[in-house]
Parts: sequence; C-alpha cells; structure tokens
Amino acid sequence: MAKFGDLFWKALVLTVLVFLLGVLLGFALERNRISEIEEEFQRIDLQWNDAKLQTLYYQNLEPRFCDFAIRENLEFADKVYNEGLKIESYDQASFLTNDLDLEKKKYALLKVEFWLNSIVLKGKCKAKYINLVYFFANDLELKTESEQDTQSEILKDLKEKYGKDLMLIPLPIDADVSVINVMKGTYNISRTPAILINEKIKLEGLQSFDDLELLIKNEQL
Amino acid sequence: MEFITGVYLFFIFVSLYSVFLILLIYLRNRGSLYVEREIKEVYDISVIIPAYNKEDSILETVNAVKSLDYPKDKIEILVVDDGSKDKTAEIARNIEGIIFFEKGYNSGKSDTVNFGVKKARGEIIAVIDADSYPEKDSFKKMIGYFNDPETGAVTASCFVKNTGKVIEKLQAIEYFLIAFGRKILDFVDSVYVTPGSLSMYRKKLLVEVGGFDTNNITEDIEIAWKILKNKYKNRMCLSAKVHTDVPDTMKKWWRQRLRWNIGGFQTVHKYRDSFFRKSLKMFGLFVVPRFFISHVLSVTGFFVFIYVFGREIFQKVAYWMFSIQNGNTIFEAPKLFLIPSVFTFFIFLLFVFTITFTYIGLKTMNKINIGFRANFIILFYLLFYLTLYPLVLLHSLYLLTTGNIKW
Repeated sequence: MAKFGDLFWKALVLTVLVFLLGVLLGFALERNRISEIEEEFQRIDLQWNDAKLQTLYYQNLEPRFCDFAIRENLEFADKVYNEGLKIESYDQASFLTNDLDLEKKKYALLKVEFWLNSIVLKGKCKAKYINLVYFFANDLELKTESEQDTQSEILKDLKEKYGKDLMLIPLPIDADVSVINVMKGTYNISRTPAILINEKIKLEGLQSFDDLELLIKNEQL
Repeated sequence: MEFITGVYLFFIFVSLYSVFLILLIYLRNRGSLYVEREIKEVYDISVIIPAYNKEDSILETVNAVKSLDYPKDKIEILVVDDGSKDKTAEIARNIEGIIFFEKGYNSGKSDTVNFGVKKARGEIIAVIDADSYPEKDSFKKMIGYFNDPETGAVTASCFVKNTGKVIEKLQAIEYFLIAFGRKILDFVDSVYVTPGSLSMYRKKLLVEVGGFDTNNITEDIEIAWKILKNKYKNRMCLSAKVHTDVPDTMKKWWRQRLRWNIGGFQTVHKYRDSFFRKSLKMFGLFVVPRFFISHVLSVTGFFVFIYVFGREIFQKVAYWMFSIQNGNTIFEAPKLFLIPSVFTFFIFLLFVFTITFTYIGLKTMNKINIGFRANFIILFYLLFYLTLYPLVLLHSLYLLTTGNIKW
C-alpha cells in the first residue's frame, strides 16, 4: 500500500475539494435564487402597499374610481400568482437550504392580504368577480399529492377561461402561518385539496372543471 | 436538507472518489500500460482446458493453444472432460498432441481444473476455457511476469470473439473496458479476478492454497482472492489477448451475470474476515472493501432509484386517472428549461468522467476508431446496458437469500 498510498490520499483530497466546490456552488445557486425572490418580494410588497392605499382612498373618498382599483387588484393578483409559480419551481431545485420556506410564508401572508382586500373591494365596489381560494398542502401522501396536482391544473384552466372574473388565491394550509390556521378552523378545512368560493361555498376533495364552472356561473348570476 | 438528499450526496462522493482514483492511477501509469516483461526463464507450462458440453468449440480452442508461439517442448495440453453429455469427449479423444482425461462424471469447473492440476507437470498452470482462443503471442507476453517471485497469477485481455448481434457488441465494449479497468487495478496490486478465458498460475502456489474452491461458482474470483490473501500478486498483461465466446441471447447473458454476482457474494462472505485488515495490504484495505461497498451501493442505489422513479410514476398515473375522471386534459407542456441545482454540477461532472473513461479505455484498447454506428452502441451501452447491472444484482440477492442456487 505504501508505494501507491499517496494516490489514495490524493484522490481523497481531490474528491473533497471537488465535492465541496459542488456543494458551495449549489449553496450559491440556491442563495442567488432566494435573493432574487427577496428582491421581487420587496418590489411586490411596495406595489401592494400602493394598491392597498389606493383601495383605501377610492373606498373612502372616490368610489367612482372602483374600476381602477379592481384593475390594480387584478394586476397584482397575476403578479403574485406568477411569483408563486416561480417559488414553487425554485423550491423543487432547492436541496441544501430551507430558506425558501420563509419566502413561501411571506408570499402566503401577501396572498391572504390580497384576498381580504378583494373581499373589501367586492363589497364596496360591487365587483362581479369571484373569489376562489384554493387550499393546498405541501407534505402529503402520494394519492393526495396527485389529487392536488390535478386540481391545480383544473383551476389553472378555469382561471385561463374566466380571466379577470376569477380571483384565484392558492393558500398553503401547512405553512405554519397563524392567520391561515385561523381560516382553516373558521371554514373547517379538514383535508386538501379544498376550495372556497366567495367565502360561502366550501368544497373538499377533487372537484371537476364542469362542477366548478357551474358553481362559478351560479355565483355570477 | 432531506435524508434522500444526503443519500444522493453520499453516492456522489463515493463515485467521485472512484473516478479520481482511477484517473490518478491512469495518469501516473499511462506510459506503462503495454510495457512487456523480459522473459528470463522459459517455464514449463501445463495448459488445462476443462470442458463441459463444448463440442462446438473444443477443437478450435485446442488448435489455438497448439499454435501458440512458445517452445513446443515446454507446453503440455491437458483436456479434462467434465462428464459432457454431448460429443466433447469423443472429439477431444481424437485430437493428437494432447493429454485427454475423461472424468466420467460432472463435478463442476473447479473440481475439473483441480483434477488437471494434479496431473500437470509444468511449473506454470495455464487455465483456458474450452470456448476461448488465445492469440499466438499471448503466452510469451504473459510469462515474463513470473520473473517476480511475488507474482502468483497472470491474466490477459479478454475480447469477445463474435460481435454480430447487438448483445455481443455491447459485451465487446464491456470487455474492452473490463480489461482496461483491470490493468488500472494492476498498478495498485488489486487484480481481483483471474478469468477462466486465460489465466496462468504458479503450480506450487495452487497446490499450497488447496486449488480452486469447489463450493464457489466463480472460481476465478475466489482463486484470485486466495492468492492475494496469501500475499502473492495477480498481474494483468494488457497486450496478451484471448478471444472468447460470449452469451448471444439475453437469457444466457442474464444467467451468466447471475452466476458472476452470486459467486461474488459467496467470495465476499468467505473472505469477510479480511475486511480492512491492514496486514493483508491492498487485499484487506482495498480489494475486499471496494467489492463489498460497490455491491452495497449498487443495491441501495437501485432501491433509491425504484423509490424515486416509482413515486414519480405513481404520481403521474394517478394524475392522469384523476384528470380523465374529471374531464381535464392530461397534456402537460414539457418543461424546456432546467433549474440548476447542486446535482446538476455533479451529474454533469460524473457523466463527463464516464464518457472520458469509456473513450480513454477504448482508445487504450485501440478500439476508438469505430465510427458513428459504434458510437451509437457505446451510447446505448452507457445509458441502458449498465442500468441492467443492479437488476441482475437484485435477482442474485433474491436467489442467494432463498437458497435457490443451481449451476
């Protein structure tokens, strides 16, 4: 062993170096993506505060500008939704850190705020859009995960069809966010996927496109 | 970090270590791959050809041995029939210039070779399967390795004789790489198998260690380990070539690999006390642990793969079923971009290393100029053929645990 023992040690040193390099690169990539999400969050947060103040303003002083407030709210909804998809895809590529969990919580809170704002706007401005809250969970058994995947696709199709007439608000019920826990209790959500339409109709389990469309149409009447 | 991520990273670490070790050994010794040893002593060689149901090849094998470029008075050829049910004995009996033994019963290859060793007069025993054909200069190239008194056995590069079918072509690539890999291991005194296609042994040593183990179904691995344990060395002569018939159907291939794996397990079990024994040098510190760890990782890796892949499949099937039940489209736009992660770097690196090893190996074996068609076969070999290994390993484990071993 002695005459070529150095080869074994050299191979070990090389392995450790390359391994560490790869792990550091992995950390850097994940950190970079989190920074990107954080920056985006700050931008959205700023825009959100603006939208909230606009709502407050129109609500109290200029009710005739309701349409504008609703449009702003909708634009914001799209941004939050797309950012949510981005976080989801980044989350699938995050293996080394759990820092994205914090970002996910922040976005969950933002979505709750957005939902509440949508309720207020709807009441004050007599808006016709439908609030559809989709409760989902992250840690699931396989069958429920597949149900959720299917439900997500169905809701995406619905959103595509109804556009600005449908406010789709996905909320994670297992993100350890107190306000969502309260909602979960209030609406007695026992399993996922679960859907809440206009804060009145609660549906648990996988719902078909046609059934949901029927309910949406009834709500629109 | 999830547990499964830790498992992946561990696998990557071990794989990287193997890759760097091979690379470093190669880089240090690449000039000596084909260096030949001067013949200082022309030993008497007894060639033992154990034969069982080899009526199609026995004559060709004997003729190849007879044509060897080695002093005729220094070679004796012993064909030992292991109770063949076909015309092997009849054919061998009529071949001139050989010593033929007909045991009259079938007792397996180890026992048949041991029988031959008892009858042999040479100082060196060359074992050649009855379906293998050594090249003319192979003995001359191998014998010089015995100048070193610590050399217990010498083996040669084994090539596939017929490469007409795809399965034979795949094995041809595999055999080139096995020969190359074995030579790499030779530089660190770790040749762990002396294949039956062509290997030479010191007769004195064979007798000393009790010959081939009749209870082991891969006698060529077991004897190599026994030699290493007795502090002798196994050597690999890359320039000495032997051609052999390989399984030409998937069924035969599978059966052969089951035998290799089960025999490997038997050998590890037999030599388990050598695990990390410093006094046994490379054998205890590298050969046994490497063999053991690679088997464990292969099986574990297979289960991890099944878990991850099976989960993915289950999810997809359930998703499609739910989608169909609920009138939703099952078409999903493919993801066109990949989000890089810690594994992207490692997988890319290991893939590059694997391709590099394959091409260096084939180039070393002078088989690099093989055109597009061959490149396609190489790709098929890397992407599909190698993935069969863990499946065979698993089947072997099953047979081993159920005690259902018949050969």
